[in-house]
Amino acid sequence: MAIPISQMWTVATYVMKKRLGGNKRYPLVLMLEPLFRCNLACAGCGKVQYPPHILKKQLSPEECFAAVEECGAPMVSLPGGEPLLHPRIVEIVNGLVERKKYVYLCTNALELKRRLPEFTPSKYLTFSVHLDGQREHHDFSVCREGGYDIAIEGIKEAVKRGFRVTTNATFFDGTDPNGVRGFFDEVMDMGVEGIVLSPGYSYDKAPDQNRFMGRARVRRLFRAILSNRKPTWKFNMSPLFLEFLMGDRKYECTPWGSPAYNIFGWQRPCYLLQEGYAESFKELLETTKWEEYGVASGNPKCANCMVSCGYEPSAVMDGFGSLKGFWGMIRGTFSLYPDRHALNLLSQPAPHGPAMLVQIAEPAHSFEETHV
Amino acid sequence: MTAEVLKYTLEQVEALELAPGAEHENLEGWVPALASDEELRQALNKALDYRGDVTLTLKSGERIEAFIFNCHSGPTLAESFLQYFTPSAPEKRKLSYPEIARLEFSGKDRAAGKHWEAWVKAYNEKKAAGEKNIALVPEALE
Repeated sequence: MAIPISQMWTVATYVMKKRLGGNKRYPLVLMLEPLFRCNLACAGCGKVQYPPHILKKQLSPEECFAAVEECGAPMVSLPGGEPLLHPRIVEIVNGLVERKKYVYLCTNALELKRRLPEFTPSKYLTFSVHLDGQREHHDFSVCREGGYDIAIEGIKEAVKRGFRVTTNATFFDGTDPNGVRGFFDEVMDMGVEGIVLSPGYSYDKAPDQNRFMGRARVRRLFRAILSNRKPTWKFNMSPLFLEFLMGDRKYECTPWGSPAYNIFGWQRPCYLLQEGYAESFKELLETTKWEEYGVASGNPKCANCMVSCGYEPSAVMDGFGSLKGFWGMIRGTFSLYPDRHALNLLSQPAPHGPAMLVQIAEPAHSFEETHV
Repeated sequence: MTAEVLKYTLEQVEALELAPGAEHENLEGWVPALASDEELRQALNKALDYRGDVTLTLKSGERIEAFIFNCHSGPTLAESFLQYFTPSAPEKRKLSYPEIARLEFSGKDRAAGKHWEAWVKAYNEKKAAGEKNIALVPEALE
């Protein structure tokens, strides 16, 4: 089990309190973007294309704390941009830890090794290092040769110093599932607590608009990757979300489960789409037209999205919201998901070379396309 | 509900192998006609989606260089406003729609022109030439 019991308990009691209180919409993870500036220029990224004066802006620690308190989510993810470029990131992290929030600082780790002495290990702090795969794959994905090796140095040093460390990977069309499985072996050998993964989202600002995976292809890829698991692999995610990616569960998006706050305000409707901003979290919840989003709405912007920020909250709420969900979570935590169809998927020819690289229910194997 | 909603059925969505990407509209340098309320609203929606600065000329004659990040489109223009940052001030600012006389997409579109294929081509060429530490670097902020 990759997620510590104390964190699971915090989330479980939070979900139960919200349900008992009759709350229909509540956040699980605040996506707190302290800045958009980044030290990478990934060709697949649609997050950081802004004029320089916007990239120079950043949230103050006070603004971060106010957002965290207003939102009330038990977990805070610090994406960006690259959070370690924020000059007051240590103060922000320490303030969140003091508030007993489980913090995931998402970093490409180019600065991690150098900055580590400024941080203090805590059960509340996890460095979530962006690694998209093995060396060649990752370097090509982030458009920087040598990026993988620098990140690995940071991971090893952080593990040595007693920090919680996870890796987070985004997979795109053309991903070789066998390569990903080899990558899982590599990162677990480094001593990380667990792996975080998600299919990519088709940002309309991303440079490559031609090869976004549809949902059928996402399910096939993740069935190949996540079936027949090795006992050494640990995932810092809800097992039910992983089953959703594999095509075993159907969920609707829960966009308010991972609300995003940044220099513009509270982003509508979610971390991925940018359709305006609310001044307060309350305003976001009360005035966003939620029925216009999610796959059931038919909104084309949501059509191929199976991303963790929208669907993992659905899985977590399912897991802690019913006995059936809870049992599914326990079973999923310990299952290796043996599946001969998935073995067939693994034996299919791999995509050719890095030029191919692009963004990429009930366990009755609901979707046919995952059977070969 | 917006016009583009309800384009796909659930069955179509679940069966998608490859999802269509967005068409990138070339707006840099564009000066939309703002003859009607509807034209103004549509132009400001495009400005909201634009990843560059625009220049707003107000009916008072004042010119504002702005990055627009929020548009609140109310039932009437008088109830509609936008929010923006300027390069010279730290705080968010608000502007009512009826104050706007002219809009120009004057700043560089930061989401344009960085195609994946260009990276693949550059990478392969540099690799073939024996270069090491091949990378794309973020643009300078000055």
